[in-house]
Amino acid sequence: MKLFFQTKYDADKDGHFGDFGGRYMPEVLVPALEELTRAYEEIKRDKVFERELFKLYKDYLGRPTPLYLAENLTRHLGGAKIYLKNEGLLHTGAHKMNNSIAQALLAKKMGKRRLIAETGAGQHGLAVATVAAKFGFACTIYMGAKDVARQQPNVFFMKQLGAEVVAVEEGTKTLKDAVNMAIKDWLADPDDSYFLLGSTVGPHPYPSLVRDFQSIIGLEVKEQLTKRPDYLVACVGGGSNAIGLFNAFLDDQAVKMIGVEAGGQGVAKIGQHASRLTGRGRLGVVEGFKSYFLQDKEGNIQPTASISAGLDYAGIGPEHGSLYESKRVQYTQATDQEALRAYQLLAQKEGILAALESAHAVAAVIKLAPKLAKSKTIVVNISGRGDKDLFITADKLDRKNWRRYLKNQAENNG
Amino acid sequence: MDKIVRQFAKIKQEERIGLMTHVVIGYPSMKETEKIVLAMVEAGVDFIELQMPFSDPLADGPAIMQANQRALQNGIGMLDNLALMKKLSSQVNIPLFFMGYYNTVYNYGGERFCQAAARAGASGLIIPDMPREEEKREGFYAASRKNGLANIIVVSPTTTADRLKKISREVKGFVYCMARSGVTGTRTDFSKNLPKYLGRVRKYVKVPLGVGFGISQGADIKKLLGVAEVAIVGSAVINLLGKSSSVRRISAVNKFIKTLVKASFYGNS
Repeated sequence: MKLFFQTKYDADKDGHFGDFGGRYMPEVLVPALEELTRAYEEIKRDKVFERELFKLYKDYLGRPTPLYLAENLTRHLGGAKIYLKNEGLLHTGAHKMNNSIAQALLAKKMGKRRLIAETGAGQHGLAVATVAAKFGFACTIYMGAKDVARQQPNVFFMKQLGAEVVAVEEGTKTLKDAVNMAIKDWLADPDDSYFLLGSTVGPHPYPSLVRDFQSIIGLEVKEQLTKRPDYLVACVGGGSNAIGLFNAFLDDQAVKMIGVEAGGQGVAKIGQHASRLTGRGRLGVVEGFKSYFLQDKEGNIQPTASISAGLDYAGIGPEHGSLYESKRVQYTQATDQEALRAYQLLAQKEGILAALESAHAVAAVIKLAPKLAKSKTIVVNISGRGDKDLFITADKLDRKNWRRYLKNQAENNG
Repeated sequence: MDKIVRQFAKIKQEERIGLMTHVVIGYPSMKETEKIVLAMVEAGVDFIELQMPFSDPLADGPAIMQANQRALQNGIGMLDNLALMKKLSSQVNIPLFFMGYYNTVYNYGGERFCQAAARAGASGLIIPDMPREEEKREGFYAASRKNGLANIIVVSPTTTADRLKKISREVKGFVYCMARSGVTGTRTDFSKNLPKYLGRVRKYVKVPLGVGFGISQGADIKKLLGVAEVAIVGSAVINLLGKSSSVRRISAVNKFIKTLVKASFYGNS
């Protein structure tokens, strides 16, 4: 298996995926990005790096993750065969770790001493805090104050792992503001610090680099299936778990792909969803790259909303923008309600509690599978497990008992 | 461009370092921005950056970020930016620049923006997240040149000799040298490295040099005498506005700028 490979959808040497991507950054960070690009080009040719990484994937992360035929769900929906790529079984509970451990290895090779990262749901922050502990990096995680409030368990875990967690009070207090603050931190200390970006967004080379470090997902699926899948389905925030599943299949036009955005409370009204492609996103240049962003008529980034913090982001990775434009990948959305129903159905039918992000992908499969013949196969990326969402899912699905429990806990321990 | 050349001649003749200050359009309010600019001019500044508010100002620290947010809450958009530029450029003689982020420009249309900015009387543009590598696709520098606007390029201590060489082909007016890495509004230690760094820039860049980031008082400006041609003060004024009661704001700015101007003369050092 080779981790680094090219597809015809790759960026040019300056990081442009067609009209998307690029490197729109202040001059102060250009040298650091050039240094990172050089290091990235070097490891692509470095067999030792790949060997070390595959060893960590296996021994520390628990790869390969299972590709599991969901027979009950398949029977229930009565159409195509549904396979779950269960990234939720990875160490720390989500696909984020594939990228974090690989970039940490790269940062070590570059001689950096400190990791800076942004996080939305906290899964990427948790993955970075974990690898920082393992490799002995100092670590600062930026997290929107709104996300800190709704993802306390991950905040606690990150601190236990030795990371400093900074709640970002600026802007909309979500992922984009965390990205902003992480970049600002990096601006102040580009020599010693490594910015460990968690998704296929940001300036070149991050969208390509993060994609390559997630491509293991699709590469494994290719080995695990005896015949080519008909559909690949994944949720899309910044887009890393989706591109990780898609990349190894992109050049095979017979494989159809669906990316699922967060529909929130419905895509009709800006501020209530995070559907950049299926909503009303327009081309813009924000946080160092050109892509679709939810913005007002002046180009100011608009608030987004989703039950899933990991999908609650105003921009979409540039390669996804380009795959949308070329129609290679089809994009759709699932609302909060649909995601919650999918979460419950998957739990009841298969005994798998998925992350709310991944539940968006399952929601799309629920619509798709019955329309397809039984001979067809769908692979859906269960990008993470649902433990981290306990405080959201329990409050939505069993509010009375849950609140009574929280109240008792607070009183008994106070 | 002519205005910038003329202003540098004046600065030289008066034997001092030039002074560039900064406002965020619509902060604390549109009316006050106008008065603040006029008070700055009256106090004797040479150049003023009018920042077009944006939701995600990447290179700015907390003070200017919050000012941006406040201005957006006040509903400021491109029409307000252009209207203010037009109004002020007809009242004052010094060069005024639009500062902002590329998405604001891109959203309006690069060519269209450059035309409108020039027509409104802007002398130049400072757009820090539009690097020369993307020019081939954007044509933004070409559009500003065509409309007679100087593009003030920002460089930092991390900028390599190779990049300085490339940048030197496109500089107009002056070059904005960040005194250090990082964002606006935190203190700068003007270490021995500064003259060395500016010397390196001068080797390639043959226009005057401005130094900004962390310059907040007369003492900082004195340290730049003989080292740079322009001292750039940004967040200090925003902080002052935040601290002052609304009735005192304009006079506080005027008084503060006067202390900076006083420190800018070679004879006083």
